[in-house]
Amino acid sequence: MDYVRRQVPDKHGMYNGHVRPRSWSILAVVMVMIVLVPSAGAAQLGAGASGVSERMTHLMLQLAVILCVAKTAGYASERFLRIPAVLGELASGVIIGPYALGSVIGLFEHPELTEFPLSPELYGIATLASIVLLYLAGLETDLGMFLRYSVAGSLVGAGGVILSFVLGDLAAVWTGLANSVVSPAALFLGTISTATSVGITARILSERNKLDSPEGVTVLAGAVIDDVLGIVILAAVIGMARVMERGGNVEWLPILAVLGKALGFWVICTAVGLLIARRLGKILETFRSRQTMASISLGLALLLAGLSEKAGLAMIIGAYIMGLSFSRVDCAHVLRRHLEPVYHTLVSVFFCVMGMMVDVNALQSILLVGIVFSLIAIVAKVLGCAVPAMFAGFNLLGASRIGFGMLPRGEVALIVAGIGLSTGLITSDIFGVAIMMTLVTTGVAPLVMVRLYDDREGLRQRWAAARREAGRRRSICLTLPNVEIAEFLLSNVLEMFEAEECYVHQVFPGETLFQVRKDDISITLRREGATITLSCGDIDCEFARLVLLEALASLVKVFEGVREFEQTTDLRSQLQLG
Amino acid sequence: MKTRLLRSFLKPELVRVNISATCKREAILTLLNIVDDAGSLRDRDEAERVVFERERNMSTGLERGVAIPHGKTDSVDNLLVAIATKPDGLDFDSADGQPAKILVLTLSPAGRSGPHIRFMAEISRLLRDDVLRRRVVEAQSADEIVSLLTR
Repeated sequence: MDYVRRQVPDKHGMYNGHVRPRSWSILAVVMVMIVLVPSAGAAQLGAGASGVSERMTHLMLQLAVILCVAKTAGYASERFLRIPAVLGELASGVIIGPYALGSVIGLFEHPELTEFPLSPELYGIATLASIVLLYLAGLETDLGMFLRYSVAGSLVGAGGVILSFVLGDLAAVWTGLANSVVSPAALFLGTISTATSVGITARILSERNKLDSPEGVTVLAGAVIDDVLGIVILAAVIGMARVMERGGNVEWLPILAVLGKALGFWVICTAVGLLIARRLGKILETFRSRQTMASISLGLALLLAGLSEKAGLAMIIGAYIMGLSFSRVDCAHVLRRHLEPVYHTLVSVFFCVMGMMVDVNALQSILLVGIVFSLIAIVAKVLGCAVPAMFAGFNLLGASRIGFGMLPRGEVALIVAGIGLSTGLITSDIFGVAIMMTLVTTGVAPLVMVRLYDDREGLRQRWAAARREAGRRRSICLTLPNVEIAEFLLSNVLEMFEAEECYVHQVFPGETLFQVRKDDISITLRREGATITLSCGDIDCEFARLVLLEALASLVKVFEGVREFEQTTDLRSQLQLG
Repeated sequence: MKTRLLRSFLKPELVRVNISATCKREAILTLLNIVDDAGSLRDRDEAERVVFERERNMSTGLERGVAIPHGKTDSVDNLLVAIATKPDGLDFDSADGQPAKILVLTLSPAGRSGPHIRFMAEISRLLRDDVLRRRVVEAQSADEIVSLLTR
């Protein structure tokens, strides 16, 4: 799923959630929490965990540890190990989970004492996180871009999904995790293998300034089809698994009925959603408060999530459909922007909690199976995406860039696995295999990608020549009198791009490199010292130039204002003399 | 594809050919009158203030005889655009010193995001074409200008 984390500096030049911390002191606080908080929690448990207030207290303490540990681990893996944050968050969950440190220090009850490793309260919060995540993933979908690159994108997306599902399903049988290709376990493992999480790829692409390369746009468009097909497959598989759970054996009539219902729900809801979204958007806009708009839209996502569960599908399907519908309305970016803080907080809890559900004691026995399954998942996705790409004008290098770009699995694989585990359709062994596959694919993809994405041509010769003709890039360079003015101008420019409904994405936290996107507009902004460089395609040049011009005009206005202010009131002496 | 915004916002009734204004100030007032006469301005004085303030900070005269005075103001509900031509040209304090022959006034609602600069970019990019620019300046009717710019 494509949800690139975005960072925009606020007025003080701080980056949301990425103010450089004094790492050591934070680490110390976390360590103290790990030791102190759970013992407090254990005392609570001992005092009788049945009372509501005790249970809530315990939940808050758990969340306290989860948030601090997961966020620190995520930050550390990104900053120091240079690996995706999700890996750190997942691993931190495994470590502090009930199967490992968690039950030792009293943060969680040992899972042998309970049916499900987590309390319903905590799992409820993780479920909410998964809904927010899928809602934002839908909201983020760039249907416009998808339509422009729909041919290559559809081939790549569909190829990857189909081969991953089939091989994942077969591999479950080969490795002995399931006894038939239509058993719920095999179907779930197939589904888990399909969902690409393109966020990590998008980040590497934008770091290397390749988001708008032919490979980049194909991966992003492919991810749209990947999402949609993945969700449809999930809908069908959940329906089938439930029928078989009831009947015990394979009866095709009820399965076909469920498939029809799942596809029907999906098609009808998506069509109705896209049709009435604009009207809904207008109604939302009558609320003058943006927070209200965002919260109500989330409420609607939860509503559709609940309805889709009632229809026998997963809740995330409804959430995704609602996001997809709202992705086309004018206020989509307002919704995204205001839900982002919620997202950033909840998503770490989600990854950490998913890590917690891994039974580390069982890991040894499934290690080999997990490795084999992960390898098959890699081969399936890379081949499934790369081979169609070769038919869409890419050479071997370009096709492998696309194959590995589509490789990382992430949140959706985890959500699907979580659904399987919580409904009892898969065992904790299979859950462990799914987590392992997610970790391996997410870990391997960036390692390979940084080697593949260089300046060599990824298109076949004929296509490359045509592209060179179409898309030259130009740079506009502006040197300001000092760094402070450059910073001020940059934040003004970014604000203006956002006011034009462009999507601004900070490529790497703490660095002043930004990517601006809107439909087919793609502009890169960089500040080095007092110099701002803006690079864009020929066609966006005029827009970029006018935005800079407007930012400069507003700078002039500020200077004028300051001068006037000095003349009428002596602000400085006012402040200095109290 | 690249004239999408022009297509949705250009209206012949807000276009005038060969206006009589002889200076920048008169020209902008003429453009504001065009919008006001169409009944689209809630608060004409406020719109005027915003446009002239922007002009004071930095002239909106682009190169090659195109000027794009503009402002964001609460006195409009949607993006409004008025176009006027002045084949003889008038001084607009442009960076290249050329007299402005095509004037495009853009007003969009303040405090709300939406195309504003994007719109101006679309029209100014189009008018970089020498042939098209000459044909717009020489156009004899509002409809002709609209059809030239949205083709």
